[in-house]
Amino acid sequence: MTTTSASPRRSTRPGAGISAAAPPRRPSGAGAGISGRTFTVVTWVVLLAFAAIWLIPSLFALKTSLSDNGVASLGASEILSHWYPTLHSYSTLFGAGDIWNWYLASAVTCIITTVLTVLFSAMAAYALSRLRFRGRTTVMLLILLGIMIPSQVLIVPIFEMLGAVNLLNTYWAVIFPQVPAVISVFIFKQFFDGIPRELEEAARIDGAGLWKIFWSVILPLSRPVIAAVAILTFVGVWNNLLLPLFVLTNPNLMTIPVGLATVQGSFGQRYADIQAGAVLAALPLVMLYLVFQRQIVEGVAGTGLKG
Amino acid sequence: MTTASTPSPSAGSLAGTSIRGGSRRRSDRRGRPSDRGTGPGAWLFIAPFGLFYLAFLLGPTVWMFVASFFNTSLVHSGLGSFAGLDNYVEMFSRADFWSALWHTLQFTLYTVPPLVILAFVFAVLTNRLRRGQWFFRLAFFLPFILPSATISLIWVFIFTPATGLWASVQSLLGFTPGSGILADPKSAMVGIAIATVWWTIGFNFILYLAGLQDIPRELYEAAAVDGATTWQQIRHVTVPLLRRTTTLVILLQIIASLKIFDQVYLMTSGGPGVSTQVSLGLITGTAFTDNRIGAASAASVLLFVIIVAIAVIREIVERVAARRDQEA
Amino acid sequence: MRARTTIGSPGRGRLIGRRALLGGGAALALSAPLSACSSPLGAGFVGAEVAPETLVFWNLFGGGDGGRMQDMEKVYEKAHGGASALQATTLTWGNPYYSKVTLATEGNQPPDVAVAHLTRAKPLWDGGVLDPISDQDLASVGLSEKDFNAKAWKAQVTDGKTIAIPLDTHPFVMFYNTDVLTKAGLLESDGTLTDLSGIDTFEAALEEIKGVTGAGALTSANVSETATPWRLFWTLYNQHQDATPFLADDGARISVNENLYRDITDRLTRWVSKGWLNRGIDYAGSQTEMATGKAGIYLQGEWEISTFQAIEDLRFGMAPIPTLFDRPAAHADSHTFVLPRKDRTPAQLEQALGFIKTMLEQSMTWAQGGHVPAYLPTFDSAEYAELTPQSDYASAAEHAFYDDAAWYGGSGSTFEDTVGAQLALVQQGAMSPKAALAAIRERLSTYVDTPSPL
Repeated sequence: MTTTSASPRRSTRPGAGISAAAPPRRPSGAGAGISGRTFTVVTWVVLLAFAAIWLIPSLFALKTSLSDNGVASLGASEILSHWYPTLHSYSTLFGAGDIWNWYLASAVTCIITTVLTVLFSAMAAYALSRLRFRGRTTVMLLILLGIMIPSQVLIVPIFEMLGAVNLLNTYWAVIFPQVPAVISVFIFKQFFDGIPRELEEAARIDGAGLWKIFWSVILPLSRPVIAAVAILTFVGVWNNLLLPLFVLTNPNLMTIPVGLATVQGSFGQRYADIQAGAVLAALPLVMLYLVFQRQIVEGVAGTGLKG
Repeated sequence: MTTASTPSPSAGSLAGTSIRGGSRRRSDRRGRPSDRGTGPGAWLFIAPFGLFYLAFLLGPTVWMFVASFFNTSLVHSGLGSFAGLDNYVEMFSRADFWSALWHTLQFTLYTVPPLVILAFVFAVLTNRLRRGQWFFRLAFFLPFILPSATISLIWVFIFTPATGLWASVQSLLGFTPGSGILADPKSAMVGIAIATVWWTIGFNFILYLAGLQDIPRELYEAAAVDGATTWQQIRHVTVPLLRRTTTLVILLQIIASLKIFDQVYLMTSGGPGVSTQVSLGLITGTAFTDNRIGAASAASVLLFVIIVAIAVIREIVERVAARRDQEA
Repeated sequence: MRARTTIGSPGRGRLIGRRALLGGGAALALSAPLSACSSPLGAGFVGAEVAPETLVFWNLFGGGDGGRMQDMEKVYEKAHGGASALQATTLTWGNPYYSKVTLATEGNQPPDVAVAHLTRAKPLWDGGVLDPISDQDLASVGLSEKDFNAKAWKAQVTDGKTIAIPLDTHPFVMFYNTDVLTKAGLLESDGTLTDLSGIDTFEAALEEIKGVTGAGALTSANVSETATPWRLFWTLYNQHQDATPFLADDGARISVNENLYRDITDRLTRWVSKGWLNRGIDYAGSQTEMATGKAGIYLQGEWEISTFQAIEDLRFGMAPIPTLFDRPAAHADSHTFVLPRKDRTPAQLEQALGFIKTMLEQSMTWAQGGHVPAYLPTFDSAEYAELTPQSDYASAAEHAFYDDAAWYGGSGSTFEDTVGAQLALVQQGAMSPKAALAAIRERLSTYVDTPSPL
């Protein structure tokens, strides 16, 4: 992990953490080939052009969501040429009520899944990092196996099993299958492996038990990695479509991406409303990103977490 | 490799540190299971995660294998009648099963080159900037954390035939906008690929940026002393040193492509016709529309095997690369 | 649960991190207002019904239908103590809708009442997803078989049981732009359509229309749209005396008359090459063509009436699809009300049926949306007879051809998608009729060869 402020390894890495105002590298030494200045100008031009391309879709969606439905139905040129924004679509969506239920479902499932995932995987990782016990090799093997299991492919059996225990159409149906995120055990284990053991020794001499050491020594030292795992779990659960799409069929309980994908309700062909829905589904994550930019970027860089 | 004293290299690679060289190995304080742990105590720590693991990862995997040999139905309880290998025979003979895999490959071919090349270029250029890096990180990375529902709604709207943003840009550039990129079976996958490249490039961008910042500056300086131009430095220093990141990016992308579902479901539902149907779409369709859990399980098993095989290849590649790094 | 004890412990703030808590708090704060008005929380955690006294109703109506259905729902709400009496949800129609109905029923939280196409109610029934409705149940709210269009009623009876209560019949019909057809000389002096029966008459009319529009004559959606090409095909196909079912034995056999298939598809291809029929156009685009006079005739289900009525200054008319071949025929289906499988108290059953009755009684509202009422008290009323252009094509319901019964068939089904997609490609010129039929056979073979899972 690059977020390991407590990690003893940090010093060994040049420029650890890409957000740390990385020293600009000017590989082209003085007078080498194309002049550095020209290259810098080209760099800016190219990057700005691509950044514009990358920003336009989001901004266009935002602009559409602030348009009148009538204008939005006329097409892109009309949307862009009408300057007066209206919040009409947002008030429609908030007025209809469904979106509140969807926000609630997303918030509840994300928070509970995140808490359970962080706690349980940290506990398991602690045992694997520090404790010797019979069957440890087997557990490591199972975990290694688990990381290769593509959980999306298990949607059919997971659905059937949730049905068998009557959990379909409950938040638990979304929460439980996402708790065993094996990668987070690895992330924690690796971090714990880097924590000097002297710290624990001291606590142990004071008579602290395993749980006490884990809770009062290890976890406080692990805040950066906890933050990274928690945020990435939160984002992953918020964005999950496949699982909640099939296990939540009660519109009152749907998470926001599923609700948007499923319930046509008041939308119909109202493009501004649809784009407002798209914006609202993303809004909490965008806010989260702006607050936790560093943790998210470094977490992604460090874990290769995806899909 | 999973013995107590040797840290598992794959664990390391999965946690990503591998992409920034072997520095972690120098740590001599690596936790090694201590003497003080006792069985029951350790198991209490393992148990909560372990139970979820067994119930929602291993259990379903086993159940999937079992159900694939039965005519299990969504609307009847129990496994149903024994089907032997029928479900597998069916899948192997189904044109749409193969075409779903082909579409996955097609999607991979469309998305990997831009995702690798553009991400690399963006990262190399961004990394050169003295200021303003935050802006490009925002621009390129922000889409990655958006929900698939959001990006699909955005891009479907952009691809609206005739009046959409895409069609407007096409007209501006002098092309005749056709019936819509998502409406034509020949181009629908291209449309999905465009949306996906836009959506996920930030991930590779960040990986490359991290990789770049691990390249010691001295290497460039040495190259510059030898008279290498900027271009030569990129070619002979940057590219080779990021080879491992590139391998990681490509393998991750292939695995992600095999599991693609959201964009396709939301943007085209596999259409027009079945021209963008992918494996997970076929599986969920078979299970939840056709009500055939058994057949869907067989398809799941096949996809499962393919993905695990590639994951194993990835592990091996990582390990070989890690060893080479260590020796170097 | 272990988690619960942890959450209460003092270390919590540290575990999650202050800023993470703030983030979570923000999300919760956003959702706080709603817990007051309706709290799905309990339901979400323990799987109980959100509000057992509220009638939950699912439908698949968008556009004008959606609006009318909402009006009808409001009447029910008014009569039953306000908006809390009913929770109506509109889901995207087609396979996803029926999949959701099945999954919700398997997941123990089906709606109390759902709309289903008649052709889809049957597979749902076969899968045990529906509760049957007895004559006594019907009588308890004052309904009986005699109240319904005989063709639709007979079509829904399965295994001798009433499984669905038809609301309407919705045939594929012809819309025409009055101005264009006037110029083409295809309207009588009293404004009614001239007789376009017979293929030669019809094709001559198309040529006339093309002359007026300077563009196309007939428009029918076939891009990003599979149902319409199927409806068009099924309509023309069944106008032939020797049309056979497309599917036989609940979908275990493809029994389409291939010569007839070739006749129809060749003719459609010819219409395209003559410039009479659009090559490729999506659903909204095809409507625009007719509304803006770039085409004179638009073929679609009658429900699009409200789309055109909403366009100011557009004068249009509607008629049954002319009989081009041996006999009148039109693709059709019916919207019905079904009761998904559920433990119901007698009171809940009565509530559900009472809701259906209230909806049926508003068939006049529904008819304005174009659908031909199945509820005879409305169909036979003077009010309906005076409703034009709706009553102008009501006879099309008498010549309705439903999709063949199959476990993978019916409106918006895999069958329609598969066949419709190929037919769309034929019309687009992207595939020959022969290759399309081969593709249909090949794509359907999985379903044809598989025993029904229901």
